[in-house]
Amino acid sequence: MLLSIQNLTVRYGQDVALSIQQPIAIETGDRVGVIGSNGAGKSTLIKSILGLVNYQGTIRTQLTPEQIAAHMQFNEYTDAMPVKYVMEAILNTKISKNQKLQELIQYFEFEDCLRKKYTKLSGGQKQRFTIIMVMMQEAPLTFYDEVTSGLDFETRQKLVEKLVNWYKEKESSLCIVSHYYEELEQLANKLLILDKGRVIDYGEKGELFTKYCGRAVLIIDRTKENEKLVQNYKKLASPAHLIALSCESEEQEKEITNLFLKHNMNYKRSNSDIEIMYINAKESYEKTEGKSYAK
Amino acid sequence: MQNKKRKLISLQMIQFELRKTIGNPYVHIFGVGFPILLVNIIAHSIATEITDEAMLSMIITTLFLGIGTIIPLATVLMGYGVSRAQELEKGIPQRMELFGIKTRTALCNRVVAEGIFMIFAFCIYFGVGYLCLDLEVPVVSGVLLYIVCILALSGIVFCLAYAIATIFKKFGVTYCITMLIYFAIMIFSGMMGISYDSMSGGMQAVAKLLPTTYINNDFYTVWVGESYNFVPMVQSYLFFAAVAGIMLFIAIKRTARKLH
Repeated sequence: MLLSIQNLTVRYGQDVALSIQQPIAIETGDRVGVIGSNGAGKSTLIKSILGLVNYQGTIRTQLTPEQIAAHMQFNEYTDAMPVKYVMEAILNTKISKNQKLQELIQYFEFEDCLRKKYTKLSGGQKQRFTIIMVMMQEAPLTFYDEVTSGLDFETRQKLVEKLVNWYKEKESSLCIVSHYYEELEQLANKLLILDKGRVIDYGEKGELFTKYCGRAVLIIDRTKENEKLVQNYKKLASPAHLIALSCESEEQEKEITNLFLKHNMNYKRSNSDIEIMYINAKESYEKTEGKSYAK
Repeated sequence: MQNKKRKLISLQMIQFELRKTIGNPYVHIFGVGFPILLVNIIAHSIATEITDEAMLSMIITTLFLGIGTIIPLATVLMGYGVSRAQELEKGIPQRMELFGIKTRTALCNRVVAEGIFMIFAFCIYFGVGYLCLDLEVPVVSGVLLYIVCILALSGIVFCLAYAIATIFKKFGVTYCITMLIYFAIMIFSGMMGISYDSMSGGMQAVAKLLPTTYINNDFYTVWVGESYNFVPMVQSYLFFAAVAGIMLFIAIKRTARKLH
């Protein structure tokens, strides 16, 4: 086991920012996606693991701080010199003498940025600059905290694609915080769902999907006609403009898709939709919590 | 990490820290330009009032040696303090720590970088001084002791600057505090028009605690090789070092990073 967390509480003043009671373990090779709305405690969790905030409880790891790499939500560097020198000083190497660093710079198309100062880089270039250095650390455990926030759709897609390809054959464990579910669908194999500082659930992506959504979900637009058409089927919680239907078996899925085909309807089928799974996990947790409060 | 193990002090880190030092405009303006300008203006105004050449040379040398202390005060106390506060405000030192660059590594290399910058600043200061002003030729021991005194002062104000910036973490507050200390030291040391002898008893008591007072008022004696009682000066250094040391300890304790 690479890292374990138990009975963790982080307080900012009187407010509890994060409370993890049940044990959470990150194993070698795990790709953990951390999801939750703003204020859920995602960044606080990373900061506590990195020892940047005070906490009560236990975080056990054999790793030294240097063996944990982190791309934080905000990364700033000195603006007194071109980023080339910052990179070389941080990585304790010379770009001209380091084949691997040259490859990474090329891989992330960063060659033309090396002579620029940090504040002169675009948002995407800034992210790539930190990613290159984080990857060069080759740490057993790496955190990516909202690595694509603030980037346009195209830059975001390209960046995630590069991350996915880079880590495809690697054994290193990743912990990725993101608000973009499609990124986690590509990068994560486990999910940690947080809400208001509490853990809603943690586990394998597929298992969590089955637990909260069933075998598969079929998603259609929410219109009066569609609502009427699927009124007899089990619905899942979903974004307001959509209807998500849970399919518990192959037969049931066939029955519903035949209905859609008969009515010439557009639909989306998924057995890994993180957004629908997240909404339903949260709803289920709130119901359980509501019951326990009522008792 | 795949990269080679980082030494506490390395050429690469010294170059990195030196680039940061040079990239700060404060140190060029207040640490290099201002002392040269100030000493030249005052020396030329004194020259119009004193006709005795020996006396003039002594006064100008005293003034020159005293104003030399502005260099570490401006480059290290203000320059480094403000630069560190700016970095802290942006979270840069924490980012560096996450990359495995420990505070002590950054500090050690910064000390060397500041030292290199000060050597250049003093070379320019003394070069201009001996070209433009009638300065006394020192004895070797006088030069060595001046270097020791400036180095010790620089070390202490470095700790002080680090501590102030680390405790307050804000550029504005750090700038204000270091600027106040900078001017207070200059005033109490007798560099701003009020000589030590003209000060009130209370002001003299404060002045006695500052090493710069002794450099500004007495160092001419050491410079030309005359005998000098160093005890009060050493005591002032110890006091100043103790204050800086306590502040440094508080600052380090407050920023310690722990992995449980």
